[in-house]
Amino acid sequence: MESGNFIIDFLEWLASFERNALILAGSAIGAGFAMIAGIGPGIGQGLAAGKGAEAVSYNQKNAKKSTLVMLLGSAVAETSGILALVVALILLFMNPLIGVEGTGIVLAASAIGAGLSMIAGIGAGIGQGYAASKGTEAVGKRPKLQPAIVRTMFLGQAVAQTTGIYALIVALVLMFINPFV
Amino acid sequence: MDFGSRILFEIPIFGGMPFTETIVITWIIGAVLVGLSVIFVRNFESVPKGAQNVIELIVEAINDLVAQTMGKDKMGFAPYMGSLFIFLTVANIVGLIGIRPPTADLNMTFALAALTFVMTHYFGAKRKGIGGYLKSLAEPIPVMLPMNIVGELANPVSLSFRLFGNIVGGVVIMTLAYQGLSAVSGMIGLEALPIFQAGIPIFLHAYFDIFAGVLQSFIFVMLTMVFIGMAMD
Repeated sequence: MESGNFIIDFLEWLASFERNALILAGSAIGAGFAMIAGIGPGIGQGLAAGKGAEAVSYNQKNAKKSTLVMLLGSAVAETSGILALVVALILLFMNPLIGVEGTGIVLAASAIGAGLSMIAGIGAGIGQGYAASKGTEAVGKRPKLQPAIVRTMFLGQAVAQTTGIYALIVALVLMFINPFV
Repeated sequence: MDFGSRILFEIPIFGGMPFTETIVITWIIGAVLVGLSVIFVRNFESVPKGAQNVIELIVEAINDLVAQTMGKDKMGFAPYMGSLFIFLTVANIVGLIGIRPPTADLNMTFALAALTFVMTHYFGAKRKGIGGYLKSLAEPIPVMLPMNIVGELANPVSLSFRLFGNIVGGVVIMTLAYQGLSAVSGMIGLEALPIFQAGIPIFLHAYFDIFAGVLQSFIFVMLTMVFIGMAMD
């Protein structure tokens, strides 16, 4: 049992636990990791809110339009946070890994990996929030162009979401159609 | 607990052909939309009144969007984009009346994204000629060819998963919210009178069904237009 190599000892110690306990522990860690993605939307929405305040300060007549664009942009920037929440909730409440055949430690690692992959949402969240902030600023300056600005903003935010979507694909693959078991 | 699409019935050919909720709901939405368009498009007058006003408004908005995004020379795409937008909007917000949105199934969204992919490359090759089309894949320098091909193949994946991820996220959160609220009602002994499920989910429905649903169908149609327009220019 005692091989002297810490990592091998550690893995053997882990493998000595019951299979379901390992998977549940991994899912708990994974759910926590997934929510780290919340950093992104937080920063992004903060940027948008700051620009919204700025836009209202130099053109109070357009306060409503600027606020609307700020809220719309922030709602899109929330997407990666919601996807992370979905992965965390799936791991917590409808864990698909429990009934799967396979080595417990691999499934536990898959649960952790699914959570870790959602951290990519940070980038999408900050990027979308930045787009929302610029959109809000632009509408504050040129309220007449609001439809065109909002359209371009949504389109750019959708493209900025792409890496977050890839992270979601990897998380879903690890949870539902795991190739390692 | 499973949030996948249930199989409703099977037709015993080719060793059992399963029909899921997604397909049946899509049929129903399609039938309703075709029926409505047949009913409302009868008896058009040169001076519009009533429902004709609304229909003309929708058609004009879609025509304007296509003209602005793709250019006036590609107005032939407007009927497809309009149908796609109306169908996706209805399919995404159908969760409001307690039906599972068909777009919460990857088969559905990937089929639509594959249509976009085929249209992009077919019309791109048609407009530029096969030589010009192949050359456009090797731009700006020939070394970029593999990366361009991978980028083109990634488009339908990200397009379909964007719609699927957003809608299925809403479905998962709504399912859990309703279960949580019914558990709360049960805790205070009101299983027969589920007051908490009555009002609180309105805000969740407003965000996940209406806002996210309409926005994601808009984005899907916009990206389809941008991809096809870029391939043709």
